[in-house]
Amino acid sequence: MAHDHQNAPPSETAMRVKALETLLTEKGLVDPAAIDTLIELYETRVGPRNGAKVVARAWTDPDYKERLLKDGTAAIAELGFSGVQGEDMVVVENTDDVHNMVVCTLCSCYPWPTLGLPPIWYKSAPYRARSVSDPRGVLKEFGVDLSEDAEIRVWDSNAELRYLVLPQRPAGTEGMSEEQLAELVTRDSMIGTAVVEAPAS
Amino acid sequence: MAALTSEIVPGLVAGGASCRMDADVAPKFGVGDKVRAININPIGHTRLPRYIRGKVGTVARDHGVFAFPDTSVSGVHRDPQHVYSVRFEGEELWGADANANSSLYIDMFDNYLESA
Amino acid sequence: MNGIHDLGGMHGFGPIERETDEPYFHDDWEGRVFGLFFANFAAGHFNVDQFRHGIERMAAAEYLSTSYYEHWLHSFETLLSEKGIVTSEELDRKQAELSQAGGA
Repeated sequence: MAHDHQNAPPSETAMRVKALETLLTEKGLVDPAAIDTLIELYETRVGPRNGAKVVARAWTDPDYKERLLKDGTAAIAELGFSGVQGEDMVVVENTDDVHNMVVCTLCSCYPWPTLGLPPIWYKSAPYRARSVSDPRGVLKEFGVDLSEDAEIRVWDSNAELRYLVLPQRPAGTEGMSEEQLAELVTRDSMIGTAVVEAPAS
Repeated sequence: MAALTSEIVPGLVAGGASCRMDADVAPKFGVGDKVRAININPIGHTRLPRYIRGKVGTVARDHGVFAFPDTSVSGVHRDPQHVYSVRFEGEELWGADANANSSLYIDMFDNYLESA
Repeated sequence: MNGIHDLGGMHGFGPIERETDEPYFHDDWEGRVFGLFFANFAAGHFNVDQFRHGIERMAAAEYLSTSYYEHWLHSFETLLSEKGIVTSEELDRKQAELSQAGGA
């Protein structure tokens, strides 16, 4: 939650939102407490640590990984991460030959239950415009130098399927527990704009 | 009383609102089919981006039956149909300026596709 | 529609700017807007497709120069007004009233 604005007067937009919420509440159409609950739920319990658990499970359990790639919705539901904007999931696997990257060129579609709410860059024009026509350039901007021998595969989430990238497990992680592995998995690696780094020794 | 109360929130968030439809509709295409995204330019809502229209790809997966968004926007009618993950080669979309060794996958409804 | 939102393949938008440890909501009002989507959806005021189309119908220059949750707010206002649930006059009046009252 942002606290930088506590001493500044509310912006025009803040006043507009307050006006809208107040009117809808006065008309008996909206309950502000429900909005409080939603904000708290998403801020505290819906985020990329969920997706990281899915990835760590897939890295350590080959049968789970197979189920995950075949039916992402069902496999993710096994770990309890279903729900709004994740009702129909497809998981795509990075390999030595294929690197996957996800975008929504038309708006901001993103798998909320596993990754939380998307960052501004994902929802903004530069990424949405360029990821489909110059994905290698975008990856370079993110610090990922992909070999031309690896196919770059971009997924435009234009319908109601939501996509999660299963990043490659880095070398040097043998013997790590599922919990330790999950800690290595970043949000960006599950969008496809990063790879998972081997742990610092 | 407001439709959405605090008590309902956790269940709503966990359950979601899938657009998958339990309708017995036959697919027009199968995996491996060569398809072309049709050239439509509706002034209403569509989820067929301009950069795909007229381009030829290959059906990679059939996701099943979902509500067609161009119809759902009416708020009244629903048009259940198959939606496919279709693969387009980078060169097909962007010509000589495409990245080397690149492909794009996008979800195409039956109504967005014709045989190629 | 062939609106400005249909960005795939366009050039000229510059570098991808990223923020470290970005919060979900950069201001309290953004969280309210987020919640208002669910509240309006549950009340049957609009579906997701109508909500998206409301954003698509924004003027191109406004779309590019406003923030993400301002897009959501714009769509709410458009749809609620079109459906006669909250008129823009009501909204203007309430906003003026709240501003006069000190805004908190």
